[in-house]
Amino acid sequence: MSAETVHTIIDDLGALLLFTMILILAASQIYRAIYAVATQSFLIAIAGGVLATATGNVDLWVIAGVTLAVKAFVLPWVLHRVVQRMNVRREVEPVIPVAATLALAVVVIVMSFHLSASLGSVRQAIAGNALPVGIALTLLGVLVMATQKKALTQMVGLFASENGIFFTAMAVTQGMPLIIEIGVILDVILAALVMAIMVLRVRSTVDADIADLDRLRG
Amino acid sequence: MAETLLWVLPLVPTVTALAMLTTRDRRILSAIDVGGSAVLVALTLVLAREVAAGGPRALGVFRVDDLGLVFLLLLVVLTLAVSIYTVGWLRQAVAVGNMKAESLRSYFALVHAFVATMVVTVLADNLGVLWIAMEGTTITSAVLVGYHGHQHGLEAAWKYIIVTTIGISFGLFGTVLIYAAAADVQGAAGAMSWSAIMQVAPRLDPGIVRIGFIFVMVGYGTKAGLAPMHLWLPDAHSQAPTPVSALLSGVLIKCALLGIIRFQTIAAAACGPAFPAEVLLVFGLTSVVVATPFILAQRDVKRLLGYHSVEHVGIVVLGLGFGGSVGTYGALLHVVNHGVTKALAFFAAGTAIARYGTRDMRAIRGMLAVAPIAATLLMLAALSLAGVPPFSIFVSELMVLRAGIGHGHWVAIAIFLAMVVVIFAGLLHHVGAMVFGEPTAAAGREPEAWSPLLAMMLLATIMVLLGLTLPASFDKLLRRATEIVVG
Amino acid sequence: MMAGERSFGLMLLEMTLLVLIGPLVTGIIQKIKARLQCRQGAGVLQPYRDLTKLFRKGTVQADTASGLYRSIPVLVLAATVAAGALVPVVRAGPPAFPLGDALLLLGLLALARFLTAVGALDAGGAFGGMGASREMTVAPLVEPVLMMVVFSTAVAAGTTELGALAAHRGTSWILAWRAADFLGFAAMLVLLPAETGRIPVDNPDTHLELTMLHEGMLLEHSGPGLGCMVLASHTRQIVTLGLVSALFFPVGLADGAGATGLLLGAGAFAAKILALATYLALVESSYAKLRLFRVPQYLGIAFVCALTALALRIL
Repeated sequence: MSAETVHTIIDDLGALLLFTMILILAASQIYRAIYAVATQSFLIAIAGGVLATATGNVDLWVIAGVTLAVKAFVLPWVLHRVVQRMNVRREVEPVIPVAATLALAVVVIVMSFHLSASLGSVRQAIAGNALPVGIALTLLGVLVMATQKKALTQMVGLFASENGIFFTAMAVTQGMPLIIEIGVILDVILAALVMAIMVLRVRSTVDADIADLDRLRG
Repeated sequence: MAETLLWVLPLVPTVTALAMLTTRDRRILSAIDVGGSAVLVALTLVLAREVAAGGPRALGVFRVDDLGLVFLLLLVVLTLAVSIYTVGWLRQAVAVGNMKAESLRSYFALVHAFVATMVVTVLADNLGVLWIAMEGTTITSAVLVGYHGHQHGLEAAWKYIIVTTIGISFGLFGTVLIYAAAADVQGAAGAMSWSAIMQVAPRLDPGIVRIGFIFVMVGYGTKAGLAPMHLWLPDAHSQAPTPVSALLSGVLIKCALLGIIRFQTIAAAACGPAFPAEVLLVFGLTSVVVATPFILAQRDVKRLLGYHSVEHVGIVVLGLGFGGSVGTYGALLHVVNHGVTKALAFFAAGTAIARYGTRDMRAIRGMLAVAPIAATLLMLAALSLAGVPPFSIFVSELMVLRAGIGHGHWVAIAIFLAMVVVIFAGLLHHVGAMVFGEPTAAAGREPEAWSPLLAMMLLATIMVLLGLTLPASFDKLLRRATEIVVG
Repeated sequence: MMAGERSFGLMLLEMTLLVLIGPLVTGIIQKIKARLQCRQGAGVLQPYRDLTKLFRKGTVQADTASGLYRSIPVLVLAATVAAGALVPVVRAGPPAFPLGDALLLLGLLALARFLTAVGALDAGGAFGGMGASREMTVAPLVEPVLMMVVFSTAVAAGTTELGALAAHRGTSWILAWRAADFLGFAAMLVLLPAETGRIPVDNPDTHLELTMLHEGMLLEHSGPGLGCMVLASHTRQIVTLGLVSALFFPVGLADGAGATGLLLGAGAFAAKILALATYLALVESSYAKLRLFRVPQYLGIAFVCALTALALRIL
């Protein structure tokens, strides 16, 4: 594959990633957000495969495979199970109107592209639009966490955020060292498990969403 | 020898943690706890001697230099103090039912796993490993914060894990960007190692390093408790078991500061020292200013100390921002001083809480009559935290101030001084009311347990010692560490 | 690869074709929906039968309606059909006789929408007024998105004329898509149900629900007037679908004027319209109608996508 083709494909995948992110932001039901983030991880895995083919870097295949298994299947499945176990109202409750969130999203996206357009020659170290898309996904993930009151939506936002970082990390020339990427994924799994346990524990003791608790103030 | 120690050190708390799982007996667990910590201290002292004699050592992804050593020493000393304190604290906590006797081993195992991850953050040369270990500290300590298992604890733990995890994903992004910049200059091999990056730092693309540094600052700044990302800190500090609070405040946020310092040196080399200094100043001032009203209006003694940590982290970052040898030296000294003093304050406050059965400062009165030694130590810690001479914090605050004046940051200095004075009054008012006066009827009057007192005495000695006279070897260590940062 | 110009005669032919097969597309969508719901459903030619029936009937008009009211259906149909003239159906390439571009097309559709709302208000019925006000709530969200999607493709082509735009994009397949095209197309997919008055934004099958938008505005029309309005909405639907395929899938459009090329172009057009019609039917069958105040949130997705597509093109 020529460098040109790789850049085009990464750009295209970046656009699709942004689309899934917008779907997460506007999702009115928790299940849709979970499916959207699973799709997003799937796209990241594809990006890993494309970059692996292009650079001949075997590590990237491993990373793509692990991403596919863990973030596209296992973690969404865990989230799915937790939603079922909690048996909660599945409508997402935003803190601010979704329209406002979407407006903020536009600002974030435009800002990310503007920011990375201001960079010099070093942009070539990262394939295609992976840098601005990565920044946008990371920030939008935070936006999801900040504007949703449900614990599970916050977790979805976290995964989306992490997806953004992975996308950029993969697209850095030759990818990150394998051991680091594996360590990062391991951390993400552990954090997700601890969070899931906390959510279920609070649900079983006080019948409330853990993110809704607000006794600690001042 | 020293190289071997680099991988043995993180292994010690790991093995200790695993050893915990073999027994349920409280006495044996406490013994393993203190023993493990003591071994850690001993090995660290050996390593410190080696490094003082032979300079920085590296092994794979680990590397120890004088800068890391400052933080490592603080870490192991506080770990030992916490272990000693835990012996008596735990007996009381089990007696009143705050801790369940059957789940003690998991508590101890988690504490040592937490320590192990922190040791790795301090020794990591590879910035990726630094990040992984940092996230590891979040996971282990989040479980500890929610360890009591009641609603408030879990709320604090949730807030803690969510805020810091998202925070340090920013840190990871910043790390990736710096890695991209380094890989662009020297190829992918070694582009994640801090020492390798420092070799080529002046040639890195300043644009991408700038963005990367801001991401890292927000990321590790969240972990360090800098305002406005400090939201998790008072909750986590107030809800965690007291020994864990001491570790969080004394060591964990300092480890995050070390991460910031590592990236600051890269950014200073790549885009000139002015840029990171500016960012640091903004965050430092914000933290000092934001913490002040919360300290004044606080009723929960552990939250008070938590907000106080926000202020002091702000002061450290201000010192780094003012820069120069004086500012950096002052900041590093402040890291140690604050770590020791804050752990002491948490210990004393934990004793008070155990006596009165509440964290509400309005209900804690006349501690001097109930537990005279702990009360005196609490007062001393408060005086030191408020910045009264001759305690150690006074010295380091003065150095930070001098660096600010030297570089002509008059506005920052004015705000800083005003806040310090207000906090001084606020803190002494709170603690004075707790220590003096008529004790409330609810207060327990049993004699003071030896182990918490021993731990507090140990820390108080270090605190006074650092204030009165800085040992020559420690001064040399700090000077060399300062050189690494300033270049 | 620059295609030859499209002759005026061909454009008229294409326009007539669009108007003629418009009802068929509606019929096909209804049929697919019926099958998805395990019903037999009416034949695909049912819309034609409905239209002939309507055109044979007499007109009843509200007493309160003004003189303008009678001319509204004709004007609406005229505006929509004129918009149809601007869509390339079987051939790419700039027109020999420049009638207008995508912006005029959107303007004509907006004009038709405006006239429909005016007519509904003029009749003075409660449902009509409600439908009109709702339609006017949704329209400001739909039209800017359409504009932005058109712009995001036009920026790359350097023209807003649809034939030339299609020719510039060439007849290659998805690999020629840039990142912005994915987002633009996503925006269009979200938008299509709104623009064609379908679930989840509107419900074309009912005159009774309080949630209806477009159908509410037609309540007071009758006979040939209603026939014109219904034909106009069939045409509007196929024009919108044609716009999407011209913007994003110009593949198969003939380059020259040869008969085989034209036939091939017609076949490709039919396939593309069929695919989009199937998409609409699937969406209608698998989603529920949104509450009205949820509609801005839904359209917000399209808005953000379109704006991002535009930003991608420009930045």
